[in-house]
Amino acid sequence: MSETTTDKDRDLEEKKKASKKGEDGGDKKASSKDEEEEEESDEQEESDDSDDEGDDDDDKAKAKPSRKDDDAALAAKPRSGLRVDRSPAATFTRNVLTIAKRELGSYFNSALAYIVISLSLGGFGVHFFLFQGGVWQIERASMARLFQFAPGVLCFLTIPLFTMRALSEEKRLGTMELLITLPVRDSEVILGKFIGAYGMLFFQIVLLGIYPIVMFVWPWHLGVLDWGPFWSAMLGMLLMSGAGVGVGLMMSGFTESQILSFFLTAAGLAALYYVGEVVQYLPGWPGDVISFFSFQSRIEPFTRGVIDSRAVVYFLSVTILSLLVSFRTLESRKWA
Amino acid sequence: MTTDVMIYAQDLSKHYGSFRALDRVSFEVRRGEVVGFLGPNGAGKSTTMRILTCFISPTGGTARVHGFDVFDDPLPVRESLGYLPQRAPLYLEMNVYEYLRFAADLRHLDGETFKKRARSVVEVCGLAQVLTKDIRQLSHGYRQRVGLAQALIHDPPILILDEPTSDLDPNEKAEFLDYLKQIGKERTVMLSTHNLKEVESACARAIIVSRGRVVADGPLDEIRAKSGNVRYVVSVQESASGSAYRGKTLPASNAEVSDLLSKVAGVRKVTELPTDERAHAFELASEQDADLRPEVFRAVADKGWVLLELHRDTQTLEDVFRHLTIGDERRNRTIGASPDGEEEEASEEEEESAEDTDSDDDDSDEEGDEAKS
Repeated sequence: MSETTTDKDRDLEEKKKASKKGEDGGDKKASSKDEEEEEESDEQEESDDSDDEGDDDDDKAKAKPSRKDDDAALAAKPRSGLRVDRSPAATFTRNVLTIAKRELGSYFNSALAYIVISLSLGGFGVHFFLFQGGVWQIERASMARLFQFAPGVLCFLTIPLFTMRALSEEKRLGTMELLITLPVRDSEVILGKFIGAYGMLFFQIVLLGIYPIVMFVWPWHLGVLDWGPFWSAMLGMLLMSGAGVGVGLMMSGFTESQILSFFLTAAGLAALYYVGEVVQYLPGWPGDVISFFSFQSRIEPFTRGVIDSRAVVYFLSVTILSLLVSFRTLESRKWA
Repeated sequence: MTTDVMIYAQDLSKHYGSFRALDRVSFEVRRGEVVGFLGPNGAGKSTTMRILTCFISPTGGTARVHGFDVFDDPLPVRESLGYLPQRAPLYLEMNVYEYLRFAADLRHLDGETFKKRARSVVEVCGLAQVLTKDIRQLSHGYRQRVGLAQALIHDPPILILDEPTSDLDPNEKAEFLDYLKQIGKERTVMLSTHNLKEVESACARAIIVSRGRVVADGPLDEIRAKSGNVRYVVSVQESASGSAYRGKTLPASNAEVSDLLSKVAGVRKVTELPTDERAHAFELASEQDADLRPEVFRAVADKGWVLLELHRDTQTLEDVFRHLTIGDERRNRTIGASPDGEEEEASEEEEESAEDTDSDDDDSDEEGDEAKS
């Protein structure tokens, strides 16, 4: 193998590199001299070694002093093929974000995301304005009606649709093998997937903010909206979606089939959501206990403007628990 | 352990339920070696590679890659590896560039290193034309190349490639193998394949696995010698068929011929071959250096027997491979043969010699047994 790059090209590349460093190197002057030197020698090595065959380990071992120029002094990014001296926390975050970014990219690359988001927004709209007289019946400037309906739809439809492919697709296509054999931890994969899917839900929920804006701020002014309950309800929805996405991810980890994953999640979340309604006729403490676990009764205070700390803890616990289960499921491949 | 040993596996075992996918596999691969990992389908090649890349854990045994234990330190192991799984599973919705970028990001390559490396791997893998295409649109050959590019992007000291050439066309294969040879001087490459020609052209050493066990490990020449790399086929006319040679010999019995042949200097093993009524046929195994044909001829002629056939084969790697792994084939063709059956506990040698002569009988016997039980 030989690289076609001519010397001229390489010079050009070097210059580009240098100018780029000049731009972004300003805030990194503080870093140590050693790093700079290593950086330089590595660079030298790279440009000498046209086909990049020097072992990275060797590269680092030979810290030969080389040309000094202003650009190199400015630039002090550690660079190497292999990872050096990065804190575990930093690499963890970085890996999680890389995976999450890829997830989001692939959501927006498929028609599914657009269909789900636009359909559910349409559905919310129809329900909000038209169904059974719509919002006009209440004759108050309130968004409460939206939040009676939206959480259920999220649980039934949106969350399962966004999480169904998260792990099952990767398992079915075998891409999981490539992903996991990159230097990432299983926990990073799970968390990255979670953030990716949650990002979609976040996007969807934030889009609901369009309603009060167009109705009460601009272009229409249908009254003065009490924003408090709106924000608390949004917060409740975000917390609940977190728990929902967690459950969805967990279900997705159990199976290789997207369809099965979808139905498992939808059934599971619907059960969690409506269980309170089913047991409302159950007298005494059993009913209370069961309805405590209902998403519906947990999110209800939020729609009234009450941020219920028990509910916050509950939703966060469900999220963490389901992520732990997903993590273990992913890990179990090792022993299967 | 010297730092020179890049991949070290000892007694690796992997059980799936009662099925033994790997059974105490041990080997070492040193820096600068290109090792072909051979075996029939289902012999445990991919399982071994998955263990080495920390995708699955072994049921027993230890493995170290680049000095790191695959169980205790999976991250450093994966950092020093480039791995291409079988059939190159890739994210179909990404384009080639995005995919390489993604792999590079997870390997913490920064922008400039990535650009350099990307330019190099794109050239090596011939991806320039498809860089902005979605992987979904690519043919299998191109996907394989993307998989390779992904494995090479961080310039790893160790490459583990599971059937890297399966979807490449012959030109690409040749080019790729040349490249492997070249980078193999500095690096450690382990590639699995069915294609023995590839191994012969790219690897100096091969490890042959069969039914989860290493049945041969060493330089190719040694492996060729492994099962007696020179083979003689001798058939002697049986007197029962008619006139004896010049009428002065006793009828040759099977045991007599076998006895005589095993006494010829240099013969390591005598195996009876199936024949018709008129001849006794034997296969002789011996060292490569000597040519035993004169001795065999003289021995037979001294007895006054009629030599019907005598020829010498130099075994190719293919023969050795078939010889060492033929049991696997039989297993696949026999319904009801237990995947982990007792008969396999018998020593490799015995089994194989049985295979050659009466594999058909064997099969029917086993089916019979199965039906009875």
